[in-house]
Amino acid sequence: MSVVFIGFAVLLLLILVFRMPIAFAMGIVGFFGFAILQGLGFDNLFSFRWTAPLTLASNRVVETVQEYSLSVIPLFILMGNIVTRSGLSQELYNASYAFLGHRKGGLAMSTVLACGGFSAICGSSLATSATMAKVAMPPMRKFGYSDSLATASIAAGGTLGILIPPSVILVIYGLLTESSIRELFAAGFIPGMLGIVLYMAAVRYVVWRNPAAGPAGERMTFKERMIALRGIWGVLMLFTIVMGGIYLGVFTPTEAAGIGAGGALVIGFARRSLSLPGLYETLIDTARTSAMLFSVVIGALIFSDFINRAGLPDALLNFVTALDVAPIVVILVILCIYVVLGMVFESLSMLLLTVPVFFPLVASLGFDLVWFGIVVVVVTEISLITPPVGMNVFVLSAVLKDVRAGTIFKGVTPFWCVDILRLLIIVFVFQVSMFLPELLYR
Amino acid sequence: AETTLRVATWLPPTNPQNATVWPTWKKWVEEATEGRVEVVIENYTGHPKTIYDAVEDGIYDVGFSVEAYLPGRFKLSGVAEIPGEITDAETGSVALWRTYKDYFEPADEYEGFQLLGLFVHGPGQLHTKFPVNSLDDLKDKKMRVGGGLVNDLAERLEVTPVSAPSPKSYEMMQQGVVDGTFLPAQEQKFFRLSEISTDLTLFPKGLYTTAFSIVMNQDVFEGLSTKDQQAIMSVSGERLSQLAGAAWGKADDNGILEAKEKGVNVVFLAENDQRVKDLNKLAEGIDQIWVDSVTDRDVDAKAALADFRKYVDDINSKK
Amino acid sequence: MQLSRWIEKQYPEPNIYRWIGLILEGIAATVLLLIVLLTCFDVAGRYLFNNSINGAVELTQIGLAIMVFAQMPIITWRGSHVVVDLLDQILGYRIVKILAIFSVFIISTSFYFLAVRIYQLAERSLRRGELTEYLGLPAGHIAQYIALMSWVTAACMLTYGAYCVLKNKNISQSVGE
Ligand code: NA
Ligand code: NA
Repeated sequence: MSVVFIGFAVLLLLILVFRMPIAFAMGIVGFFGFAILQGLGFDNLFSFRWTAPLTLASNRVVETVQEYSLSVIPLFILMGNIVTRSGLSQELYNASYAFLGHRKGGLAMSTVLACGGFSAICGSSLATSATMAKVAMPPMRKFGYSDSLATASIAAGGTLGILIPPSVILVIYGLLTESSIRELFAAGFIPGMLGIVLYMAAVRYVVWRNPAAGPAGERMTFKERMIALRGIWGVLMLFTIVMGGIYLGVFTPTEAAGIGAGGALVIGFARRSLSLPGLYETLIDTARTSAMLFSVVIGALIFSDFINRAGLPDALLNFVTALDVAPIVVILVILCIYVVLGMVFESLSMLLLTVPVFFPLVASLGFDLVWFGIVVVVVTEISLITPPVGMNVFVLSAVLKDVRAGTIFKGVTPFWCVDILRLLIIVFVFQVSMFLPELLYR
Repeated sequence: AETTLRVATWLPPTNPQNATVWPTWKKWVEEATEGRVEVVIENYTGHPKTIYDAVEDGIYDVGFSVEAYLPGRFKLSGVAEIPGEITDAETGSVALWRTYKDYFEPADEYEGFQLLGLFVHGPGQLHTKFPVNSLDDLKDKKMRVGGGLVNDLAERLEVTPVSAPSPKSYEMMQQGVVDGTFLPAQEQKFFRLSEISTDLTLFPKGLYTTAFSIVMNQDVFEGLSTKDQQAIMSVSGERLSQLAGAAWGKADDNGILEAKEKGVNVVFLAENDQRVKDLNKLAEGIDQIWVDSVTDRDVDAKAALADFRKYVDDINSKK
Repeated sequence: MQLSRWIEKQYPEPNIYRWIGLILEGIAATVLLLIVLLTCFDVAGRYLFNNSINGAVELTQIGLAIMVFAQMPIITWRGSHVVVDLLDQILGYRIVKILAIFSVFIISTSFYFLAVRIYQLAERSLRRGELTEYLGLPAGHIAQYIALMSWVTAACMLTYGAYCVLKNKNISQSVGE
């Protein structure tokens, strides 16, 4: 077990002090950690059979860059980039500003709402953060919002989508635990809405503490509002097609990404705001961001292979089982473990590693597995924005080169604090998650 | 224990492979080797097709996966995947293992491995959101398909095929991207298809099946004492294949029960039903596609196919 | 000429690196556009002609691999990978630079050795005749391509990437802004 702690320590050292790109730091620690577990030592450095760890890493590289479900990453980013380059995002924000701008932090609130809506349909937090960074950041800056509030509202808003159905993560949880997927979807709805409300409250809190972070504008007249609305029909239509297409089952969320990108292209060309060189630049910009994200996912997967082999999941299970306490305390301990693991794990790998370990215990304590699924997903959402490894934050700082990860982490603190509050509400008020599934299906 | 075998497994914990097959085999191996060999079962989070590389290169010692994920490398087990060949998973699995021992072993498709077992899941059936009163009802319907010979059948049924991995079935059917899917009956329970399909139409010999192989790292196997090697093989081979087939077959029964409970219209077709006759007619010649596909293997494919059919009938007549 | 000025602006690197970057990013952009068109035509085909494009899923997968690894050399030598910069101000300029050079060596070495293994696995897969699941294409070629691109990445990183770190060159990350 000590090898796990050393592994974590070396990882943090490489990321924080050596300033190594996170993808490579995770990959290298995972690689050598795995090799050590396979018997690598100082005495056999040259006679050691490197085949196993090398094949492990190679497989992760080759299979991840060909993972179909990850194709949403480049496609939604492309859609966002085209929307931004065509000036559509500016108009969208002008419209939100016309309606919400007179409130303090109004634009950040509409960002949370937009991120929630967008990530709800695309189901990928990483893609949402990357897309909305392009769409929402320039207008918020223009209206004088502080970088920390602006980026934090994007990073936090982007986490909402893995709970609001349809959600890939919930489907995976359902398949792992054999619990009802439609009940999971129904159960995710109210907690997802609660998340939006609480994030808005977090924005209010930030601007209450520091009014300069999200300055209020002038109230616009009804006529001005209507004029602002006129510019956004194109982008509204695009979002309607993407969202409606998914909900009506015309195409899958993965395909929707391609349709959205194609639709954005058509709108861009139709408005003559997208030239051929502009298109080329948008494409390579998208490809660059995507390649960065794929690298991070690969590194995270190799690292989680090491942690899995080191037996961390089983050790945690043994630790929890050995506790002689009330069932609800066991749940709280499990949640603490998730929050801690979430600091360093990527969301999907955390789910795949821990759910098969914990769910039999949770079921044997008499808890509802649908409820536990919602709880687990909320914790996973939190993990996306907590330091030191918060994927959404990294994506944002990668897309917005001039904003430091530290700034975003600082800005996002109130958001994950309300997330913890939401988690406690869901844990202790059973009805918040289970009201809808019980009403609809039980 | 002197040796620890790490087993790579994927699929959900409740799947028969994880709920029954691995725990039982673990017990068998540990008893047969009198505790000298210990079995540890680990969750594999990568793509199942890379399990073969993972076992061959020593990341894990034992693993299992779907052969159709790597077409071109494993072709011979396709004999069991021909539409309308197997009645149930256990029969198909035992027949496949025997055919392997009689015909396929010298072709050395499992180079670099110690082959521990071969099995198939139950017959693939029709899970749909519409009633299948005749095969014409399937025409132009959007159906999810995986890889393998079922694609040839799908083409002959004139459905609009939508290729996707099987766990995507729930999402795609729920959203209406597809109107149905080809899968074994157990998925009414595991993939929760009972929540979103209206009809489960069961053909006596199904539409297809999928072959799985259970492999062990060659060096690790040869590193064991002869006594332990024999002990492990005494609880593997046909025994392990049968164990797996039986477990997966039982899951089909549970799937059908689940479907009935959730109000899915479950239709068992008799051999003399028009739909079965039509299907048999449509499937004619697909066996030849398999025979032609393995001409580059030094194997008497025709004889192997004939014997495979004989084994299926033999086993069924003894039930 | 306008084109040469555009290239000058987007790819300020010296000769060979400029052309490597330009060609590879050209490939990545084309492939990305093709993936978009493929998805749109696939969905359209499913509804309009009751037929979807054969193996659209697999073509998308191959396209993803080509795009990501065509992009790998340039994003690596330009230092565009995600870095946590929480401690930069505390550590100071000189130390940050030394650590960056250390990173350059580690990254190049990892790409090199990983590519060796990926290439070996690709050859093994080709020897055994492994095919892709839906289209039946030889499965090893895509891995060979990944290995090749990893070597290009390692070579560029060890030369121009190291030079950039030493000379403190910062190339704009985002195009057209
Ligand atoms: Na969602
Ligand atoms: Na985190």
